[in-house]
Formats: sequence, C-alpha cells, structure tokens
Amino acid sequence: MRMLLIDRRAWEEGLKRAAGDYRLIGPVKEKEFHSFRPLAAGQLPDFAFQNSRLSPKHVIYPQTEPMFTYTLEETREDRHLLREVVRDIPPTAVVGIRPCDAKAFVLVRLNFDTPDVQDPYWLRAYEATTFIGLGCNAPCGSCFCTTAGCGPFHEEGLDLLLAETAEGFTAKVLTAKGEAFARAAGWTKPAPEGTEAALQELARAAEGRITSFVQTEHLKSIPVNDLYHAPFWDEVSFACINCGTCTYSCPTCWCFDIQDETRGKAGVRLKLWDSCMYPLFTLHGSGHNPRGTKLHRVRQRFLHKLKYFVEKYDRGIQCVGCGRCVRLCPVNIDIRRVCNMMNGYAVSGEACAIP
Amino acid sequence: MTSTTAILREIAARLLSSGAVEMVIGFRQGTIPMMNEPCFVRKPDEVGHLVWDSHCGINLANYLTDRKEKIGIVAKGCDSRNVVTHILENKIRREQLVVIGVPCRGMADKRKIAMKCPGEILRVSETATAITAEGEGFSRTFEKADVLQHNCSLCIHRNPVIYDELAGDLVEEQQGVDRYADVRAVEEMTPERRWKYFEDLLAPCIRCYACRNACPLCYCPTCFVDESRPQWVGKGQDPIDVRTFHFLRAYHCAGRCTDCGACERACPVGINMRLFTKKLEKDCRELFDWEAGLSLEARPALDQYRPNDPNDFIR
Amino acid sequence: MGIEPGRLHFSWISSAESTKFVTVATQVTEAVRALGPNTRFIQPPLAEVA
Repeated sequence: MRMLLIDRRAWEEGLKRAAGDYRLIGPVKEKEFHSFRPLAAGQLPDFAFQNSRLSPKHVIYPQTEPMFTYTLEETREDRHLLREVVRDIPPTAVVGIRPCDAKAFVLVRLNFDTPDVQDPYWLRAYEATTFIGLGCNAPCGSCFCTTAGCGPFHEEGLDLLLAETAEGFTAKVLTAKGEAFARAAGWTKPAPEGTEAALQELARAAEGRITSFVQTEHLKSIPVNDLYHAPFWDEVSFACINCGTCTYSCPTCWCFDIQDETRGKAGVRLKLWDSCMYPLFTLHGSGHNPRGTKLHRVRQRFLHKLKYFVEKYDRGIQCVGCGRCVRLCPVNIDIRRVCNMMNGYAVSGEACAIP
Repeated sequence: MTSTTAILREIAARLLSSGAVEMVIGFRQGTIPMMNEPCFVRKPDEVGHLVWDSHCGINLANYLTDRKEKIGIVAKGCDSRNVVTHILENKIRREQLVVIGVPCRGMADKRKIAMKCPGEILRVSETATAITAEGEGFSRTFEKADVLQHNCSLCIHRNPVIYDELAGDLVEEQQGVDRYADVRAVEEMTPERRWKYFEDLLAPCIRCYACRNACPLCYCPTCFVDESRPQWVGKGQDPIDVRTFHFLRAYHCAGRCTDCGACERACPVGINMRLFTKKLEKDCRELFDWEAGLSLEARPALDQYRPNDPNDFIR
Repeated sequence: MGIEPGRLHFSWISSAESTKFVTVATQVTEAVRALGPNTRFIQPPLAEVA
C-alpha cells in the first residue's frame, strides 16, 4: 500500500483541484454540531470534531428518495406508467468520514447488494463514491468500535485513510478509487520510510483510548428463541418512547418504507427511511402488526442488530460502535448494556420449557 | 447520593412492601453523563436502583398512559401537572396512583453544559447549587441556575401540584418570571420574517418524532402523521410537511402543555419546538386565564364553553 | 405561523343570514385578492420533487 505525505498547503490545494473532478462532501459545523454536507467551492472540511451528530449514511442512502413518478392524466402518453427516477450522481468523495461510518456501508451493502437482488438506488450512489477516511485520534467515551468489529483506524470500506499529524496528514492509499482521488488532488509525495509503522502506532494509541466495550462472543450460539423469550425485554424496553432517534442516527440501520405521494393526478413513489420503532413498521395490510407493542419493537431492534444479522451473515454484529444511539437516545437506552445482557444470557433448565 | 434519592428509596420501599402499589416509576442512574433512564421497580429490594439528581428531565407522566396497575409515580412539578392532565383525560385513574412528589429546583441542560466545556464531558457531579463537569484535562463548575433547561429557568410551578408522598421540603416558587419574552419576539415579527424564522428553526428536523413521543400529551393510538389512508401529511423531508407536523402537533397540545421541556430535551438536533407550544400556552393564559394541569376540579380551556369566551375574531 | 393575517377569516353565519353571507364572502375575497397569490404552505410540483 502506498503511503503519502500531505502538508497543509498540499491539502488545501489538493482539495481545490479534486473539486474539479469530484463532488466533495465533508464535515461542516452547523450551529452546535457537525454534519456531512456538500462543500462549497473553496470550503474545507472542518476536522475539529469527534464525529458528526448524525451518521453520513444519507450521502449514499437519502432519507427521502424518489424512485418512480407516475401520472393519471389521461391526455399524457405516459399515463398509468411508473417511470424510474434516475438520480444523477457525479463522482463523489466523502472527505473526513470516520472509519466506523465507512465500515457501516460495508455492512449495509450486505442488504442492498445480494446475488439475487441489487438495489440500484443505493448501489449507484455507493459505486460513485470514494471514501476518504480520517483516523480517530480522540474517540468519544461512548465509542465502542474496537469490540464492534471496527476501530479508530479501521480500513474496511475506506479508499484512503488519513492520519492527522502536526504538519498535515499522512495518507494510506487503500484502493484504486483512493489512488484515483490522490491523483486528482495531486498528492504524490511519498511518505518517508517508517510512516506506516508510525500510523500503526497512532492506531494502537487510539485503540488504547477506547474505554467502552461490548461482549459479543456468545451471541451467535445462544438459541434465537431463548433470546426472544428472555425475561429482560420488559425492563429494557420500559423507558423507550418509540421515537426514531436511534435508527435515524445509526449508520447501519437500513430499513426503508415505500410511500406514494400524490398531488392532483401526478404522483411520486418515495423510498423513505423507516424505523422499527414506529407503529407503521411491518404493519400488515390486514391491520395486524406482528410487532404491535413497544416491547416487540425494541426487541426487534436489538435482535436484528445483535442476533438475526449475526446468524444470517456471520460477519459479527450489525453495529460499528459509533455510539451515536447511546449519546442521542432521549431516555438513555444503551445498546452496550443490552448487548452484554444478551451475550451473557444463559437459559436455565426451567426457562427452556417456554412453550 | 442526594438526600432526595434516599427519601425516594425509603418511600418506594414502604409503598411496595405494604402493597400500596405494584410498581414505582422513577429514574435509575444513566450510563452516560447527564442522562438518567426512566425505570420501574416492583420489589422492595430493587429500590436501590432509584436515583434523583438534575438529570431527570424526561416527563414520567408519559409512562402512565393506559396502565392498569397501582403505581407509585415520582413526579416533579411539571410531571405532576401532566399526571393531572392524564387523569382529566382518562388516561389513568387517580385511585391507581400514589404520587411521590419531588419539589424541583430545575433540570440541567446537557447541551448548554456541553457547549461551555472545552472537550467531551466524562464525569458530572453536583451539589445543591452547583454542577461540576469533568473531562480529559478540564474541570468546570457551574452555578446550577446558569445551566438550567430553558423551561426550568422560567418555571413557576416547581412544587408538585398533587402528591400523596413528598420527597423533600417544598421549595420556594420563582417570582416575577417573564415567561414569554421569546414568544413576544416572534409575535412582533412581520409574517415574512416569521415564516423565514420558522424555516430556519425547523431546517435540521429529521422527523424522528422524539419530540412527539417524549410528550406525555401525545398518546393517540395513531398519530395523524402515521395515517396513510388518507395520508394527511407527506412523510418525506419536504419543508412544508415538516412544518405541518410541528404546527399540528403544537395545536394538539393547546391548553394541555405544561412546558415540561421533554420535547426540546429529547430532540437529537437541538430544535426549540417549545416556541410553538409556548405561544399556545400564552394564548390560553391571556384568553382563558388557563394554565394546564393545576387542578383536578377545573375542566381544560378547550374542553368547556363559557359565555364570556373571547370571540372578537369571529365576524 | 407566518401566514398574513388578512388571509384567515372566521365568521358565524346562520342559514337565515343570506345578506351577511354575501357581505362576508365579498370582504374575504377582497382581502385575499389584495394580498395576492398565497406563497405559504405551497408545495413544489412533484416534477421538482423527483
């Protein structure tokens, strides 16, 4: 892997050059917190952040995305037809994405890109995008990435990994996409020998600063029905108010809903973020909802992330440990606590008798 | 442990042991600084979970809706007013409840404190009048009065309005509070300016509905935003749909809102949607001399007709 | 809300008050016409959404 050295000037000029070939998206401070937004001409991403308040998943997977339009206007030739909306996605680079959020796209891809079915909306955006990661020197106290299959300098899902240094950045080129971006930015100066070792040292130091952990080793082997019938769900779900903050701030939550919106005789079919916390989630046409209560919904969220996913894909948990849901939940439901409860759950002989 | 915590545990243990209640709803210690988690305890030996400090901002009346048990509910001033509203609206019966009143000196605004600190806050401690936040390489102590939630700094009903038990001495109510300076500022704007002001206010909204769901008033079995046949409001990020949600939600709270601040506290993106509910609260006060949740005897402003109701706006 | 005050009118008209109905309807129409087309709570055409 190629290591590059980028000083402050090369950084600023490089981004300006790259903006000719790429739509740049980066962390921008808005009022009190950072969000990932398209950068204006000459605007630099603001790296004075631990992580963005909400995840950058909207870059690939917008909260509201038109899929089709249709018209019932009888005079129109295309009446009664669904017309696909093809979003024009220029080559895009997300500059300064944290490794956890980039890894999240790898997990989400498992859902949107399968051998049988591919989601063109998600895939078009993903394939057009280059991920320029920024190693995390100062993880939050509520980050638990190192035990969630990730880490502050984790490379999976990234095309290029930056590490901030006193003079600027060192960059590790990880893929052809990353190479192309470095070329577009004119970042060619090779880093001196020993830089890769220094990067590993930075990563180790950052990992050492992680203070929060989850235990996941038993999740796979505990029978799903045992976890489903575990006695703690009433206690875990009690505080939940069934808002969508956890799912909307989560980089790995992928569920969506499809709704038609009509005005007059024209309509648009939208793909919208859904949330397992909502009463419409999995509501059947009959009016029945298999997840009709708060307890069902909360259990669904945790079982999906920490059990169903684990069993189905064998790729660890559907969580990268970014800690957003922990920080933002208005009632302090903490996935770390629930994960450890699930992982430590052993059914006694009696409890096995649940019919 | 604060003395309120000790008294709460003592009361809860007594109520549970005697069988006066089947469960006590309160707060337990949170897993991150400045957050506590609403919880229930059912056994006297579990009351050690209960805590009380300046981070119990969520309104516990929210957890009473349609419950069938006999419940001991921990209630600060605003919670108790929403308990009253719940009883008036038949969402719980008075006979089911033992209200454990907590005279309140206001809840801390975790965002305000975070913004006054140079780094991530890792530990928080408090005395009766001060809150200390510590992180890597810093420690800041604030006068509690300076870092209260906005609604708490304007609160004129800190003491519970109904209670069967009391966890601490009643506190002095704040006098001479100008509750509506922010609403007046909006009222004075031109329509154009106001339209723009609300557009900016609501721009960060992600429609997670945390404001709605944190609110003890929002208990409709199906909220209008969730109706799909017919669909009353679009579900996407269209700014008009977002605005329609916020306005309609506020109107549904007219004459019922106690300004407990749960909505604003719950918002992950820091929107002050209390401006809307406060405007309606101000109108109810000025037009009907009505404050929500103060009495089990009076019917709410929008629930009764009085011949002298203001009607100048009708031609 | 940011809606111009002249755009919203309330009136109570009995079915027997035909002349009042005419008067109010005329006044409402004139007041709203004076304000021009409404620009608030108007959603863009769906073509733009998509």
